Amino acid sequence: MLEKIRKSFMNIKLLRKVFNWGRAWSLWSVHLETGCCGPEDMARACARFDTERFGTLPFPTLRECDLIFVTGFVTKKMAKRLKLTYEQMPEPKYVIAIGHCAISGGLWWDSYSVVQGVDEILPVDVYVPGCPPRPEAWIQGIRMLQEKIAKEGLKK
Amino acid sequence: MSVMKLSMGPQHPITGHFRFILDVDGDLVLKLEPDIGYTHRGIEKLAEKRTYLQNLPVIERVNSYCDSAGTMLGYLEAIEELMGLEVPERAKYLRVIAAELNRIASHLYAACLFSVATGLETMLMWPINDRELVLDLLEKLTGQRITYTYQTIGGVRFDMPEGFKEEALKRLDYLEKRTEDYYKMLLWNHTFHMRTKKVGILKPSDAIKLGVVGPNLRASGVKVDVRKDEPYEVYDKFDFSIPTGKNGDSYDRLEVRFKEVEQSINILRQALKDIPKGPIKKWAPPIVPKGEAYTRVEAARGEFGYYIVADGTMKPYRLKMSPPSFRNLIALPHLCKNVPLGDIPVIYISLDLIPMDVDR
Ligand code: SF4
Repeated sequence: MLEKIRKSFMNIKLLRKVFNWGRAWSLWSVHLETGCCGPEDMARACARFDTERFGTLPFPTLRECDLIFVTGFVTKKMAKRLKLTYEQMPEPKYVIAIGHCAISGGLWWDSYSVVQGVDEILPVDVYVPGCPPRPEAWIQGIRMLQEKIAKEGLKK
Repeated sequence: MSVMKLSMGPQHPITGHFRFILDVDGDLVLKLEPDIGYTHRGIEKLAEKRTYLQNLPVIERVNSYCDSAGTMLGYLEAIEELMGLEVPERAKYLRVIAAELNRIASHLYAACLFSVATGLETMLMWPINDRELVLDLLEKLTGQRITYTYQTIGGVRFDMPEGFKEEALKRLDYLEKRTEDYYKMLLWNHTFHMRTKKVGILKPSDAIKLGVVGPNLRASGVKVDVRKDEPYEVYDKFDFSIPTGKNGDSYDRLEVRFKEVEQSINILRQALKDIPKGPIKKWAPPIVPKGEAYTRVEAARGEFGYYIVADGTMKPYRLKMSPPSFRNLIALPHLCKNVPLGDIPVIYISLDLIPMDVDR
């Protein structure tokens, strides 16, 4: 019953837009560093680049987060934890793959312990290339995700 | 009371890529066991499949947490020793400039993490903003912010751009002034004293026995620095001192890092003043003659050793690294015996470990 009411509400175009707007501007990101793009994660969150302007705040508790940055390569040992983290996050949740390694294995294309592209384990929304990508590129990735969210559930 | 097992990390704001398995009794941690391997890429094995030149970006990412230039120096030193190659003087100076700028960036990054661990968020924003100034300089010099591949076999890839010297001197002056603010904000802060003084004391005898290296060893009062003891590149031409701590607690470990930043600024000023004119690169053959070489350099986090076995081809037969964080990690279980759970982040961050170079 509740689900039905929720669905019919979500079909109202204006309401849907408001929902999407709210989601797009409060993408809190979970802290899970998988690879060596990590230092740029700090740089983009802190004083100079400050992604909090776009609503992306790094947050320690994954239960309140809706965005996960896969920062670089994912080893096979880390892949299980990454999946576990992703599964524990509440819906809706989004994934941004950062760096060549997260996209396709990058520099570690022939390594025995690195997952060749994070899309083998998680559904990725936005890919940001670079090794590591500059903080400006991270911001562009966030903006692209916001545009994607704004169109969610609306008929074309 | 009963002893309980507690798992901490890797999804944790402090531990980064580590997992700690703790034995806790109430709030007291009896034993800490680090679970490593979350970032293992098998670099040593991969290096055998690539040529010496192709290895440069791979080696650099052993520690791309703001210390790429310092990490790579040792590898190049070893190859040049095998080849008997004499690098041009100007290139040596440029290498040192990149490495020292990296050291500043790395220590400022450590200060940021430290302030996160102690809950003083202002000090998270200040050093990271000043680190950007250093990264800007490095970007001017090398073209990248974090991973440079700037130093190459036989020299460096680019010369100093125009106006770099003046810009660098201006920023170094600013940074020196800024360190005073850091002292006021963090090191002379009463709250910070309570969190870090007498926490995680590492005695000099223990430090030597465990094989701890770098600023952590110096914080315990042992005066060891490869730059002074066994000068490489042009470090013998500079006049600088080695800061040491007294008590070997977490507070000293951060203080030593701040003092090292001051010394790095000192070295950079001298290097920028004396840098000679001349070529920046010497041609090097792709084949390295048969032999073995071991070199060590002082990276930001401590002594970095490289052992190369060459078999007369374009690829190394074996490349063994002994990175600083791996050697400092041994001190962590030693320090985390019978301490409150709240002190674990402080002790861990004070050692300035980077999981990437523990695992390789
Ligand atoms: S893209 Fe580059 S910096 Fe990022 S994890 Fe991969 S190798 Fe490291």
